[in-house]
Amino acid sequence: MTGRAVSRTVSRTVSRTVSRTGRRRLRRMAAGLVLALTACSGRAGQGPSNDLLIVGYDREPDTLNRFASHILEDIETCVVEGLVTTDEKMNVVPLLATELPTLANGGVKLTATGMDVTWKLRPGVRWHDGVPHTSADVKFTVDAINKGDWKPESTDGFDRISGVDTPDSLTAVVHYKEVYAPYLLQFVRGTLPRHVLRGRDIDKANDYNRSPLGTGPYRVAEWKTGEYIALEAVPNYWRGPQYPKIRRILFRFLTNTTTRINQLAAGEVHLVPFVPWDKVRELRAVRAVRLNTVLGNGYEHVTLNQRQFPPFRDVRVRRALAYAIDRDLLVRTILDSLVTVVNGPIQPLSWAYEPSVATYPFDPARAAALLDEAGWKPGPDGVRTKDGARLAFTLITQAGFVIRENVAQAIQKQFKDIGVAMDVKLIDGTAISSIWFSGNFDAMLHWWQQPADPEITLFFASDRTPPAGRNINYLDDRDLTALLYQSDRTVDEAQRAALLKRAQRRIAELVPELVLYNTAKVDAVPATMKGFTGNPTNTGPFWNVWQWEFDGP
Amino acid sequence: MIRFALRRAAQAIPLLLIISVVVFGLIHLVPGGPLALYLDNPNVRPADIERLRRSLGLDRPLVEQYVRWLWAFVRGDWGYSYADGRAVAARLAERLPATLELIGTSSLLAFVVALPVGILAATRRAFDRVSTAVAIGAISLPVFWLGLLLQLAFANALGWFPSSGRASYGVDTIGDRLAHLVLPAIVLAVVHAAAWSRYLRGSMREVMALPFVRAARARGAGPWRVVVRHALRNAAVPFVTVVLLDASIMASGAVVTESVFAWPGLGSLFTEALAKRDYTVLMAFLMCASLVVVALNLLADIAVHAIDPRARTAA
Repeated sequence: MTGRAVSRTVSRTVSRTVSRTGRRRLRRMAAGLVLALTACSGRAGQGPSNDLLIVGYDREPDTLNRFASHILEDIETCVVEGLVTTDEKMNVVPLLATELPTLANGGVKLTATGMDVTWKLRPGVRWHDGVPHTSADVKFTVDAINKGDWKPESTDGFDRISGVDTPDSLTAVVHYKEVYAPYLLQFVRGTLPRHVLRGRDIDKANDYNRSPLGTGPYRVAEWKTGEYIALEAVPNYWRGPQYPKIRRILFRFLTNTTTRINQLAAGEVHLVPFVPWDKVRELRAVRAVRLNTVLGNGYEHVTLNQRQFPPFRDVRVRRALAYAIDRDLLVRTILDSLVTVVNGPIQPLSWAYEPSVATYPFDPARAAALLDEAGWKPGPDGVRTKDGARLAFTLITQAGFVIRENVAQAIQKQFKDIGVAMDVKLIDGTAISSIWFSGNFDAMLHWWQQPADPEITLFFASDRTPPAGRNINYLDDRDLTALLYQSDRTVDEAQRAALLKRAQRRIAELVPELVLYNTAKVDAVPATMKGFTGNPTNTGPFWNVWQWEFDGP
Repeated sequence: MIRFALRRAAQAIPLLLIISVVVFGLIHLVPGGPLALYLDNPNVRPADIERLRRSLGLDRPLVEQYVRWLWAFVRGDWGYSYADGRAVAARLAERLPATLELIGTSSLLAFVVALPVGILAATRRAFDRVSTAVAIGAISLPVFWLGLLLQLAFANALGWFPSSGRASYGVDTIGDRLAHLVLPAIVLAVVHAAAWSRYLRGSMREVMALPFVRAARARGAGPWRVVVRHALRNAAVPFVTVVLLDASIMASGAVVTESVFAWPGLGSLFTEALAKRDYTVLMAFLMCASLVVVALNLLADIAVHAIDPRARTAA
């Protein structure tokens, strides 16, 4: 049946059933319904302004208690402030503290066994209920976390604190049992309000956990489960009555990436933090949106599990694989030049970054020569063999991460060109974490997103294989381990940087993993908004939300 | 009738127990767990993972975990969410209205479309050809794809409806609610409208061929009276049964639809709980869903038993 015939048939059938007047009435009713619904939906005139900014957010937080959050969530960042924060260049800067305690300014004093850190708090800062923020809150926070009867996400660093003295209301002296190099970030999550939580079961303090008391520019006005969290500006923010500039911020939960991007394109949301790389090209065409890109403090790489796949224990094999990958091609094609090729675990923004390390530019001939030298000869099917074993392994990576799936396939082809067979297995995001933690995989394509402190002991020290750490390469190098632990016990930044630079050079020689590129962070923000800078760390782009503004009222 | 209903209800208890064992086993067999998300965060040390595991009772043997869960569940204590620590029953209850709103509207829409289309297809050969082609297309459409397509067309391109969500922020009108409901309800209704219309068409054609319909015509009944009073009444019994049983399938479609349209119902909650391996929420959701399916089956059996004398004889 042709299209015209179908149309005739439908028309005839409808004609028989409904009269002409009825049809007209039906058409009018349908048009009226659409008009009425469109008019009532209130879609017009909701552009971003100093009155309302709508954020398309990829998840609904489980809690707004910053110490129980999975990462430093953006919503909490608007409400709860730390003693310090990290800026867009990854510098640690004071926030509720007046200065950063260091050896040089006497804020840090080494003791016989550990160290004392003195935090000077900013005067005049009050919790949103008007109670002053004091050193008693710092002490209460440490005590509450170390008491161990609730579920803070991480006790890292707190478990090394023996006690806190509060000589006055604006001074907290934190006593460490041992030297703890990343001490500056100890209170990046902020403090807990003693006057609200003292004597309570914090796990069950839902009034606080769903609407935390903070000192930040915003407070929680409404949390509509499954839909949104609305923040409103506090009237007496400590930076002055002119801040924050934007009156209300709405975090709308849009877990589906395509829906989130569609809403942004339709103007229903105004800002989407951390845009997936595969959506960037699509968003370049949206005129109301500006894409803000910063270097990330993370790196995409292929982990080579030496425990699971013995050929990876030979450094020549690892170097050959590094030479076999054309990283520039991956970045230029699949990643649209959004990211930068890097060569190690500490990223260029860090004060401990070492640029002069051994590099492995694309050189398949050299890769093949290294494999020959290691005794891996081409077999009849093109795959190299040695003592009857094939150089064939499986790479796991996260399903649904489009760019990563494409990169895995490209690497598979490049390895095949030098006689290495690699299968790619896609695994869902939650399952993959437990697989790598169990060490039950050959190789994995993934990233590590890191805080501003350059501590990498957890990832490379010999004794930090799971469950004691995240050395899932199962690298075992005594020199490197010694260097890393020495850096952890060094508070002076220059000395620590020197140690970490040596460690980076050693890592580059050993090639425990195949480092690909920096994980740039792209945020889609309203083209008319000022003050947005982004942030490379897991502090997130809302770190300076009090500065954001639009022209006009 | 009461004895029949009680007997069927008693038969459902062991079935639900078996379902609980299978569901509990399956969700614990899937790699990952409630703490898997923490592993990617370098700030969370292995000692923290162990501490959290103990505090959630995940260090106990699986059988012990199941028995504890079952005992608490039958006593009405559904536990607390591993993710946010809130009572599971409260989390389900706050999402239920949105899902009922979506499924109710979609069912009504599907029913209203399926009824005339099924009747016309059974009585008009030409219309039947067209509706068959359309129905096959509609049944084959993946829900998420159709959802995204409608978003692009009616939200992004035409701007007629909001692309997602249940209401606009700060707007509390029925019109706004309805505007948000249109696209997800259509997406969820399309497949069912197509399937139900095909089922009604088949059922009607079967009945229309029976002697009593010819007898009605011979008595001089008009064509629409024959269709509506005689054929439809008889064809409606199996049709209503299918509609009831399909409610569970519609609920599974709601999981995808709610995710695409950011609809804050049980489907979105299930998707989130699955990603976080929030066992307590998953178990409560799946058990409630199983209970509803079993109850609807029971209801359908009872309805057929009540309406159809042949079923009573067989029982």
